[in-house]
Amino acid sequence: MEKKMRILWLSAITCNGNTHSFLNYPHMEQFLDDFEFIYHPVIDSKYSLQEIVSNEIECEVLIIEGAISEEFQRGGVPIFEIIKNYSKRVQKILTVGTCATFGGIFRESDYKDTAGMHFDQDRALHNFSDFLDKTISISGCPIHPEVLVNTLYAIKKSVLLRVDNFLRPKEFYAYTVHNGCTRNEYFEYKVDNHKFGELEGCMFYDHGCQAPFTHGSCNKILWNEVNSKTRAGVPCFGCTEPSFPRDNLFNTKKNMAIPEHLPLGVNKRVYLTLAGITKAFKIDRFQKKILDD
Amino acid sequence: MIKIIEKIEGEAKLNFNFKENKIDFVDVEFMSTRNIENILKGKRAFDALVINPRVCGICGHAHLMATVQALESCYDNLILSDKAKIIRELTLNFELIQNHFKWFYLTLYPLFGKKQQILKATYPSQLMSKAIAVIGGQYPHTSYAIVGGVACEITEIDLIKVQHYIAQTLKFVEQNLLKVESEVFLKTEDANSLYDGDLTEILDEIKNSELLGYGKSYDRFISFGENSFFKKGKSVKTKVTHNISLVDVKESQITSSFAKNVSFKDKYYEVGPLSRAMINKTPLIIDVHKKYGDSIFSRILARIYEISQLLEHSRGLIKKIDLSQPSYIEPSIDISKLSGSGYSAVEAARGTLIHRVELESGIIKNYEIITPTQWNLSGGTRENHGVSQRAMVGLSDVKIAELVFKSFDVCSVCTTH
Ligand code: SF4
Ligand code: SF4
Repeated sequence: MEKKMRILWLSAITCNGNTHSFLNYPHMEQFLDDFEFIYHPVIDSKYSLQEIVSNEIECEVLIIEGAISEEFQRGGVPIFEIIKNYSKRVQKILTVGTCATFGGIFRESDYKDTAGMHFDQDRALHNFSDFLDKTISISGCPIHPEVLVNTLYAIKKSVLLRVDNFLRPKEFYAYTVHNGCTRNEYFEYKVDNHKFGELEGCMFYDHGCQAPFTHGSCNKILWNEVNSKTRAGVPCFGCTEPSFPRDNLFNTKKNMAIPEHLPLGVNKRVYLTLAGITKAFKIDRFQKKILDD
Repeated sequence: MIKIIEKIEGEAKLNFNFKENKIDFVDVEFMSTRNIENILKGKRAFDALVINPRVCGICGHAHLMATVQALESCYDNLILSDKAKIIRELTLNFELIQNHFKWFYLTLYPLFGKKQQILKATYPSQLMSKAIAVIGGQYPHTSYAIVGGVACEITEIDLIKVQHYIAQTLKFVEQNLLKVESEVFLKTEDANSLYDGDLTEILDEIKNSELLGYGKSYDRFISFGENSFFKKGKSVKTKVTHNISLVDVKESQITSSFAKNVSFKDKYYEVGPLSRAMINKTPLIIDVHKKYGDSIFSRILARIYEISQLLEHSRGLIKKIDLSQPSYIEPSIDISKLSGSGYSAVEAARGTLIHRVELESGIIKNYEIITPTQWNLSGGTRENHGVSQRAMVGLSDVKIAELVFKSFDVCSVCTTH
């Protein structure tokens, strides 16, 4: 049997949401045949937290969950120290979740200078720059379990992963969350009649959907294998991005009736032209309920 | 003697004081806090619907429900459809159930020297997560419950899917946990007529290692969350009253820990599945309580029994949904124009969760969260122990004390929100 790859899962300032999202990985049995945790927040492991923080136990991957701050300790040892010790030894480091990657929600906790490992929102940090080459960012609040696990398999199989400016694997983050949403047609034809509690309509115009400028595979891989927030009628809050959480999350910021943030790569002039053309169509189908006669 | 308790969604430090070889006092300390309440100050009301599920990775949905209900209670006459109410209740039930499976197979098993049953924890909890996702888009961390109802619309097909997840989970329960039809289990009124599933294995273990009756505390229970299944009330021993008010709930700072104490009329009460069942007068749980009091045995049985009850109840709830009703009714006043205060109480997996909010023109002036673990783990003094402290006093073995401590299904992240 091939050797199991050893992972240290280290929690910093977190809600444990990534831990529980990971537990939703559908092929857990297979995963546990191929990987083992030298430490994990809920799965039993050979070592105690004390042993982990006071020694340097062999492992190949370091997973960091949660935002980090110089002030924060785990098992009585500063988290910076633990991260440095293990970063030196491992093959790869994964910052798991938006907190560990960019600071996320807990960037605003009371600890001093709370941020991600390499980024404070979109600003690059230098505390750990020696390990930049080894790091892969799996952003998301929480992470998508398949994105995490498949990245781990890519590491195990020495697959070359191309990453973006924030070290996120393009395989998952080169898409926008908008891709694959069941509301796409309402977006395409600029039908701005969305109301909450309906199957119809697109939330880009009024209800703050950030999917057209958010990197991620939520509508490609789907959540829990069955759905996504935007399909269910919940706007995308851009949780994979350095700016998460922006404010006023259920509303679209507009300047003179034009959404302030436009789809990735689309400039205002193009957008206006496009909107002008599509508005000229009168498509009955989009004016009624999708299941009506 | 200091022991670090791990794998409780973080850690807690228990400092045991012994007198004549028996635990005389336990200091419970949590070592960090994230201060979500501060993060919320100055934010727009709706943003709390996105931030608050991030209080906790395992019971974030309860925090979403508590948030939306607290915001709704700031309105004078907000209308919700019955459909929206039922849908919310369903997804919250599913979260409770997934939690109970994880607690049983991941937390409890190793405490009896058994291997963690990771797949038995993840298989049914994934089914429950899927059921939430069909309705709310994803689990964890959806924000589909919004002021005025739910953001989604659902169809007959969605309900069929959800029913399948429930049926499949019931099958798992029958084939693994109980080795008996769930209907039979639900009708059981005798705590000693056990079967031979995983539940019995653990309960037998308690009997055989003579742990029966361990972990008793004040025998005082409380529960504030009300819905079509849970009732508000308190039970002192078996005497139940329903006339209780949140006004009498007090949160107080303690010096030794980041967790704050919670009391009702200055007394500590236990919250969670055992409390809910005592207040609901569930026959099986009344029986186990009569036999073994508020012990670990009763706590474990109550939590597992709740899985079967909630699955059954959810099945019934689905039949009550009238799909022709609206999912969402727009409030008459936009929240950005609203000033006032509100609160909510919701039953989360581990017990009563309370949120209080103050709004000024739609901006959060103040936000307070009281989590279930705070009730159970309040750190009292030698003269006035907290619930879990009292349950550990008198034991001589630190390992058993850890079992007693974890029988409350402790959650460190919630406690130190
Ligand atoms: S709701 Fe969001 S994800 Fe869906 S089509 Fe509109 S912009 Fe795209
Ligand atoms: S849909 Fe948006 S907010 Fe939700 S998980 Fe995906 S990126 Fe995050």
